[in-house]
Amino acid sequence: MPIRPTGPKEIDGGSREEETVHVDTQVGGLITSMEHVHPGAMVKHTADRFFCDVTLEAVAIVDCMEPVGLITRNRLLMKLFRLYGYELYGRKPIIEMADTCPLFVHSEESLDVALDMAMCRPFQDIYDELVVVNSNGHYAGLLSVKDLVVRQSHALANSIVQKELANAKASELEKMGKVKSQFLANVTHELRSPVNAIISLAELMQMSCGKGYIGQLKDRLSLLISSAASLKAIINNVLDLSKIEAGKMTAIYEEFDAVRKLDEVVETARVLIGNKPVGARLVTSRQSLCIESDPVKFRQIILNLLSNAAKFTERGEITVRAEIDGGHILVSVSDTGPGIKPEDMEKLFTAFGQIEDAKTKRHEGTGLGLTVTRHLVGLPGGDIRLESQWGRGTAFLCGCL
Amino acid sequence: MEDQKKTILVIDDDENLLTATRDLLENWGYRVYTHKRGFGSTVAIDLVKPDLVLLDINMPGLPGDRLAGLIKSFEATKNVPVVFYSSNDEDTLRKAVSDSKVTGYIPKGDLYELRQKVKQYLGRS
Repeated sequence: MPIRPTGPKEIDGGSREEETVHVDTQVGGLITSMEHVHPGAMVKHTADRFFCDVTLEAVAIVDCMEPVGLITRNRLLMKLFRLYGYELYGRKPIIEMADTCPLFVHSEESLDVALDMAMCRPFQDIYDELVVVNSNGHYAGLLSVKDLVVRQSHALANSIVQKELANAKASELEKMGKVKSQFLANVTHELRSPVNAIISLAELMQMSCGKGYIGQLKDRLSLLISSAASLKAIINNVLDLSKIEAGKMTAIYEEFDAVRKLDEVVETARVLIGNKPVGARLVTSRQSLCIESDPVKFRQIILNLLSNAAKFTERGEITVRAEIDGGHILVSVSDTGPGIKPEDMEKLFTAFGQIEDAKTKRHEGTGLGLTVTRHLVGLPGGDIRLESQWGRGTAFLCGCL
Repeated sequence: MEDQKKTILVIDDDENLLTATRDLLENWGYRVYTHKRGFGSTVAIDLVKPDLVLLDINMPGLPGDRLAGLIKSFEATKNVPVVFYSSNDEDTLRKAVSDSKVTGYIPKGDLYELRQKVKQYLGRS
């Protein structure tokens, strides 16, 4: 490819054009005005043109297509002001008061270079228009420096914003990637643990049967059932979350008694608490509370909250309260567990965002339960929030329609 | 004959699995001791002087891979063969083995592999 003296500003290759189009915009494409006047035109006529068109900032002096000077509004005003009283001056040719050596730029010159050249001029001329010429030396138009400066600063601001957006996106993606891979490590372990226990226990039971040790079977069977139940809970959460993410989770409304439903769930929670010195009770001023909602989701929401409370509370009490507030049912689940630090509260509802590190955590689970719960509460337009004091316990308040 | 029995110490925080593993290994003719947490493991190893340690990785407080480093750094315990026994995926386990210079790993859940590998690792020591 031949290299021309103006090399770097020339745009020849296709791929290069794509890469450099933003920084290397040619001035030919930015021409703001084509105004011109013959050098012999009377000052009066040119002045009239400026007078009639307030947006006209400058006119090029062009003789036979070739630019020979520039007259700007400022220059014209200054000249006329100083020559006030010389009425005859209006009949002089415009070229006598024009700037006969304005800045000429080639139409293929890059914007950056043209601006640099413009800014190198004496201070009072800095904002004078640039006269653009074609490669054959013909007048192509005027370029407003003010316009270019505005354009340039816009481009700069844009590129800064874009860079920041890209940075933010990259770090967000990196964070998501980290969270997802951590989740994968976490959930595979959580899924495999109960499966492995089930396999081992089943094998042992087979051995016991083979040897006729029926007495051993009972203990192993209850271990096997608890492992299978915890596996089921994990799988349900994973499946629910994927259903939610696919937008396939919908609520099916029917009328049911919320108090009765809550009674059942509290009963289940007692089983989850096991032998720990933790009580579970339902507090409500109502005998029954008929609501129209999705009973399956309602049960799941409260059970999720209760099983969390049962998991983290070592002693004390878990209380479920149900009240009607302005036509809405308000259910709260509070416990006397360890509580949640303020900095961890945000993490709680993000998928895979368990507070504990997978490798050293004390509590089983995938970290999906509360994410699923929040989505479920949101289905009929409800919301969930929590109040907690580190060391004092946690309360989840759940308003359903 | 009783003295010929090889001794295995299983360290795991999951009680269901600990019980099941102990019963299985006993059924296969080993003497089995169990320890329920990472802390105190080196003392237990020194006390029991097992022929093989099966060590879980995900444990509260002191995870198995860090514990392995400790076991290998103490004079009294450094020569005991340690094998990771975990539900983590095998790539993670392989990396953990090479990072903490233990004898090997056995993925949880495959009883045939557990039996074969325990036999294999004990044969080596």
